[in-house]
Amino acid sequence: MKKTTLSYHIIKNVLFFCIALFLVTFSVYYYFARKTIREDTRENSVYLAKTTINMIEQVLTLAEKNPQIIAKMLESSFVSKDSLLPFLKSMLSVNNSLYGSIIAYEPNYYPEHGMYFAPYVYRQGDSICSSILGHINYEYFYMDWYQIPKITNKPYWSEPYFDEGGGNVLMTTYSVPFYTQVNGKRTFSGVVTIDISLEWLTKIITDVKILNTGYAFLLSRNGVVISHPNSEYIMNQTIFTIAKEINQPGMRETGRRMIKGETSFQAAEFRSAWKKGKLWINYAPLPSSKWSMGIIYPEDEMFASLHRMNIILLVLIIVGLISLSIVIFKIVSNLTSPLKDFADSARLIAAGNFNVRLPEIKTEDEMKELHNSFSFMQKELDEYMATLKETTSAKEKIESELRIANEIQMSMIPHIFPPFPDLPQIDLFATLKSAKEVGGDLYDFFVIDGCKFCFAIGDVSGKGVPASLFMAVTRTLVRSISDNVHLPSAIVESLNKSISQNNDSNMFVTLFLGVLDLKTGELQYTNAGHNPPVLIRKNREAYMFEKTKFIPAGLFEDFKYGESSVKLESGDMLFLYTDGVSEAENSQGELFGEQAIMQIINNNITARPQELIDKMSAEISGHVNGYTQSDDITMMTIVYNG
Amino acid sequence: MNTTLVKSGEYSVIIVEGRVDTTNAGEFEKAVMDVVESGTDKIILDCTGLNYISSSGLRIFLIVHKRMLAKKGCLKLCSLQPGIKEIFDISGFSTIFSIFPDQQTAESD
Repeated sequence: MKKTTLSYHIIKNVLFFCIALFLVTFSVYYYFARKTIREDTRENSVYLAKTTINMIEQVLTLAEKNPQIIAKMLESSFVSKDSLLPFLKSMLSVNNSLYGSIIAYEPNYYPEHGMYFAPYVYRQGDSICSSILGHINYEYFYMDWYQIPKITNKPYWSEPYFDEGGGNVLMTTYSVPFYTQVNGKRTFSGVVTIDISLEWLTKIITDVKILNTGYAFLLSRNGVVISHPNSEYIMNQTIFTIAKEINQPGMRETGRRMIKGETSFQAAEFRSAWKKGKLWINYAPLPSSKWSMGIIYPEDEMFASLHRMNIILLVLIIVGLISLSIVIFKIVSNLTSPLKDFADSARLIAAGNFNVRLPEIKTEDEMKELHNSFSFMQKELDEYMATLKETTSAKEKIESELRIANEIQMSMIPHIFPPFPDLPQIDLFATLKSAKEVGGDLYDFFVIDGCKFCFAIGDVSGKGVPASLFMAVTRTLVRSISDNVHLPSAIVESLNKSISQNNDSNMFVTLFLGVLDLKTGELQYTNAGHNPPVLIRKNREAYMFEKTKFIPAGLFEDFKYGESSVKLESGDMLFLYTDGVSEAENSQGELFGEQAIMQIINNNITARPQELIDKMSAEISGHVNGYTQSDDITMMTIVYNG
Repeated sequence: MNTTLVKSGEYSVIIVEGRVDTTNAGEFEKAVMDVVESGTDKIILDCTGLNYISSSGLRIFLIVHKRMLAKKGCLKLCSLQPGIKEIFDISGFSTIFSIFPDQQTAESD
């Protein structure tokens, strides 16, 4: 596994959290800031459009006044037809924005002038010229500037046009119908026009400064470009021809709405051919002339402040996060630096150096607690080790004593086989396999008076030194008692009396004691609560002795024991054992059992004493299969060769 | 090894379960003697769940038996598993203890 530090984890988690927090905050901020900017821009734009349109309107309405006044004057017959030309001349001379003016009468209005009568003044360079229009080749009645006001009975602003005679100036004409009383009836009598230069208009429009490269443009009521920073468009293109040229249906749609006189501020649904990037547009109509003004906002400029803000914010945040990381690293390093020392100390302690110096902790926090725990552990370990040393040595002492006790125990029982080389009647073998703890099993045999063979096998309750001491006492008593008494029941009774007295610990010993007459083969025996031995009749069958009705020795001092007897034939064998054999246990808790004992005996009916015991030992080992031996295992076989 | 004490009529019934061997004989002794010393003079040891007893365990039974004799009380064993009954038979303990096939007969005797 890759080694990582605590500060790495904390920084990673904190940074992760901070970045997530930042992203959320930023998104919200960005959304609202963008919305605010859009709103502000819209308001500014609406205001800008309004002001610009007002400026244009001011000029146009002012220009409208002259022909309207003239129309009124003509209607009221204030002016004679001869003073018309001077009147128009003087009007032009005081109004520089006027390039020309016509008062065109209906055909034959003045019969003396014939069909046509239209006094006209116009600028020619710096001078003001005049003429009377109307000719067979110039029937002004059919011109738009005449026809439209006549039919609609309303003043009319013409489509802008270039005045080729007047120095290529963009012009437009305003026509106002006038009426006179003919036969007492108000009758249409002609049209008063003024030609007005649109130079100033272009100037107003180009003066509109929007952001860095934003601009305004003006469309006529037919969508003709009247004013645009790209002068090639002016009067040469309509918004629709441009839209078609650059294939922008959105632009056509916008154009349609504009000439319909709608107002809007929105993200443009089109791209411009000469202005790159996403655009926003605001458009509004000019009420008098029905023209429409558009204002274009490049989006990147519109949100430039926001983007600049974003960059500043990003830089601040990166710097902030880096500083945060450094600070966390410092703090965590400071806080955890003792941990590394603790780890070193722990390693030294583990190596057995309990008195290693712990890192000094000045703070009163968890580190201090850790320090306290460590020093407590040191102290405890130290004490524990001291105790352990003591107990280990004590244990070693006890173990060695136990081993000696076991050796003494073992030395008390005969273990030289065959035990009586000069006693042909008896062939005998016995084993006592101690459990880990010193046990209380015993066996013994000896000859009394040269003609009786006394043997005993027994098991003291419990284990350990008390059991082995009890066993030693028993064995000694049996030997000493049988010096004087030869009857098994008397021996056991005497033994019982001796060990029952002052037996506060209530220990007891099971004992099978037999006295065999070597001459007759008569076996007298007393079983004090011991496992019944097996009698194997030579070349015949084997059977267990009956269960005893006598209790183990050591329980009640006045208990009366009896004896039984059986006659042994030459070659008959006795197999005696303790419960360590019948209750040998394997890991599943299954006991070896008397049945197994009988079966092994039956399978080895002719075996010699040692052979049978070896066989039995092997079978027991097979049964327990390595499971810890919990009790002494003692067996004794005696063959009578009478 | 586990012992549980229940009252049944005038008897204190101690239910013995598991194994009683050298390792827990002391514990078993304390558990039973506590009951004995609590003043009860009629005790039944229910051995239904007792599946092993070593000679150390037998010794405790014996101690209890003697103590009850001294108190002129009464100690009964019941429901011994065959293996345990066998051990009692082999050791002759069957002759000194009152053993009953089940608790009911132990109580009614």
